[in-house]
Amino acid sequence: MSNNGAYPIVTVRIQRFNPDTDKKPYLQEFQVELKPGTTVLDALHEIKAHQDGSVTFRRSCRHAICGSCAMNVNGKNELVCKAPLKERLDRKGRVTIRPLPYLPIVKDLVVDRSSFWEQYQRVKPWLVPPENIPEKEFRMSPEEVAALRNAETCIMCGACYSSCQIIALTKEYIGPHALLKAFMRVMDPRDAIPGERLADLAGGDGVYRCRTIFNCIDACPKGLNPTEAIETLRKLAQKRQAFEAARAERQKRLSEPIPSP
Amino acid sequence: MDHNTIVHDIVIVGAGLAGSWAATVAAREGVRNVAVLSKVHPLRSHSGAAQGGIAAALNNVRPVPGSGPEGPLEQLPEGADPVDSVELHIFDTIKGSDWLGDQDAIEIMCREAVDVLYEYEHMGCVFSRTPDGRIAQRRFGGHSAPRANYAADWTGHVLLHTIYEQALRHGVKFHSEWYCLDLIVEDNVCRGVVAMDILTGKVYTLRAKAVMFATGGYGRAYKITSNALANTGDGVAIAYNAGIPLMDMEFVQFHPTGLYKHGILMSEACRGEGGYLLNKNLERFMQRYAPGKMELAPRDLVSRSEQREIDEGRGIGEDGQGIWLDLRHLGREKILERLPQVREIAINFVGVDPIEDLVPIQPTAHYSMGCIPTDVNGQVLADANGAPVVGFYAAGEVACVSVHGANRLGTNSLLDASVFGRRAGHAMAQFVQSGAVLPPVAGDPAERNRRRLCSLLDNPGSELVEDIAVDLKTTMTNNCGIFRHAEGLKQALADIQALKARFKRARVMDKSSRFNTDLLAALELEHMLTFSEVIAATALARDESRGAHYRTDFPQRDDSRWLVHTVAHKNGEDGPRLSFKPVTINWEKYPPQERKY
Ligand SMILES: Cc1cc2nc3c(=O)[nH]c(=O)nc-3n(C[C@H](O)[C@H](O)[C@H](O)COP(=O)(O)OP(=O)(O)OC[C@H]3O[C@@H](n4cnc5c(N)ncnc54)[C@H](O)[C@@H]3O)c2cc1C
Ligand code: FES
Repeated sequence: MSNNGAYPIVTVRIQRFNPDTDKKPYLQEFQVELKPGTTVLDALHEIKAHQDGSVTFRRSCRHAICGSCAMNVNGKNELVCKAPLKERLDRKGRVTIRPLPYLPIVKDLVVDRSSFWEQYQRVKPWLVPPENIPEKEFRMSPEEVAALRNAETCIMCGACYSSCQIIALTKEYIGPHALLKAFMRVMDPRDAIPGERLADLAGGDGVYRCRTIFNCIDACPKGLNPTEAIETLRKLAQKRQAFEAARAERQKRLSEPIPSP
Repeated sequence: MDHNTIVHDIVIVGAGLAGSWAATVAAREGVRNVAVLSKVHPLRSHSGAAQGGIAAALNNVRPVPGSGPEGPLEQLPEGADPVDSVELHIFDTIKGSDWLGDQDAIEIMCREAVDVLYEYEHMGCVFSRTPDGRIAQRRFGGHSAPRANYAADWTGHVLLHTIYEQALRHGVKFHSEWYCLDLIVEDNVCRGVVAMDILTGKVYTLRAKAVMFATGGYGRAYKITSNALANTGDGVAIAYNAGIPLMDMEFVQFHPTGLYKHGILMSEACRGEGGYLLNKNLERFMQRYAPGKMELAPRDLVSRSEQREIDEGRGIGEDGQGIWLDLRHLGREKILERLPQVREIAINFVGVDPIEDLVPIQPTAHYSMGCIPTDVNGQVLADANGAPVVGFYAAGEVACVSVHGANRLGTNSLLDASVFGRRAGHAMAQFVQSGAVLPPVAGDPAERNRRRLCSLLDNPGSELVEDIAVDLKTTMTNNCGIFRHAEGLKQALADIQALKARFKRARVMDKSSRFNTDLLAALELEHMLTFSEVIAATALARDESRGAHYRTDFPQRDDSRWLVHTVAHKNGEDGPRLSFKPVTINWEKYPPQERKY
């Protein structure tokens, strides 16, 4: 590639695989200029635009909010749109990009997330509100909202899911992403079926499958903690009836102002 | 019916707030077979990137009495006089639109806002809260009361997840990662769409009784933009090519605070929470342009003020094209609680922590006020007289109802997409349930589109898609940007003609059928070339300045000639043919005034 010497040249190794034509995945090397501020996604774009348009990956928002671009960079899952290329280079000026592990490859860096979405849907990600809907909003205290923050900002990128050792073994496991979503619904004072949810989550494919290996925490690009959520769900599942009763009590006051402390 | 054809009652293209609302409503009103296509997974839709808030006069907070226009907010004490009203929201929106918004539509949007907000909340949306548990609100530009309802600075994310969950709950079918290629309209009746399953590359005709476009905006036609890479305005071009007119295309919003050189948005909530804009002399220059509202003047005015500072040599950064955003005085606690995402963005992309340092920003292409004309029920209009295109609906950023007129107020577009998405869903359900039949389709539209794809794939040309795209973005930025004049706009039109010729020689490098994003990039570029020409042509025609459309050669607003919507019709290979549609104005209540802040 042309280089007027202004910027150093670095090597981007991309795992390529088109199941229609390739027997197995292989690594291909590309060279790009390391301009200041270049992200790993920028490098992929540069390669696709000017060197090989068939290099295939997902992306959209390019600022870590849409969840499209989770990939495996140098062995670690992350969002490439917020990964500074410079910081990902080894001593020889190389970076290696592969698709998220443990998932079928659609093409190059694009994986098939079907099992991921099936599990997401299985936990009924939607709120089931109580029967009496107030005229205005349900009242929730700032603390009740804060308790959901660990889950509410999840962008469903799949970085945790495809770093999970249990998922590597079986796609029957609900998975950290869907358990985090379930946690969000269980903890929400507006949800009317926490007991039913906990019963399901305590089943064979649920919270007890987690071996607290903590990979999901390391992988989460949003700094969330699925393991902690799973542990909370386990505890709640053990005192499910008491929790349900407390929820029913709380729901009696859902349209009343939160008293000042 | 052959294996190339799929039939639904309703097909919605686009799974952002507008599309997912419409699908949810139609399904819960009993339409059995509602399908949504989206070129990205629904949760990746750009609505999820919205940060600052969604407008509705809920009256949950007020400024602390006596603390002035920039003073702190507190929850509205029980029984205290409200500070906001639907009427005020209506007036602010009309004024923000520079009197080009249709006032009947604005009234509907602001009235239904309150109900839509409570519905989101009842569906489980996690909003930030006041101490007594109501939805939290903040100030936003051009709104004269704090009515931006928010969830920290990821409001769009929680809204999108909430409404998508509801769509699933009601059994909506999603064709995820399907790319719409074509709209089938004959004799003013919409009959379906043609779409490609990106995974396999197979092309299908999707027939339906009602079709809706909710394909979002087109910020990607500009060099510096806040928009996602998917925001290439496909729906705008596809509709136009199918004979649907486009309205008010000259009105493109530039947001005042895109991250310097990146364009990534630093939400208006930064200023809503009290942030300052400074030039290189660290002067709060808005004092000179909008002393009443300062940084919280509407976006068109703030972006122009920034560009003036830059053009007059008071910009910052290596090329002098930047401005400072100062959040330091808000303090660590407030920034961490209310602006966590923008802080992270600043740290990640320019290496600056807003708690400690000034953030470099610049205006960024953000929002399309115009596009497909509809009535207040999402029904698409075939011409300036308001004839309907039977069975075709649109809502969200791709639609022009028009509630934003010449300039949109922040937080009004999540609202627009929600209110009119919901209304369109209802209208389609009624249409389908009142006996609409599946309209026949002539010929084989899928085959026609397959041939188009093949000719793109087989083109031995020498032009790279990316190079043409960069040149398009450059001319759009230079000539159809914040400041415009006749010469520049003519240049843009000439450039676009030349780029169209180059596109005929464009080479798609990836020849495979599986997940061919290289082919998609070529299609997206073709779409951008199509509607960019309309932007330039309508901007050239409108020889006045109004809202976001500023002509340096015609700096005044001219109500005697231009209190009208521009309606652009495709005219063969020539530039668009223009007609004009009167603005709906309630002359007694909201007559046009001078717009001052
Ligand atoms: C960074 C940012 C922040 C914003 N913040 C705010 C805010 O705080 N408040 C506010 O009110 N507004 C905000 N806006 C504006 C607002 O987010 C958008 O106007 C609104 O979300 C548009 O919603 P939509 O449903 O019309 O489209 P989108 O959410 O953009 O969805 C478009 C859909 O169409 C699909 N699509 C497009 N083309 C095709 C095709 N060819 N085939 C198949 N599918 C297709 C996409 O996959 C997607 O699902 C912001 C915008 C940006 C860019
Ligand atoms: S592109 Fe959206 S998260 Fe990276």
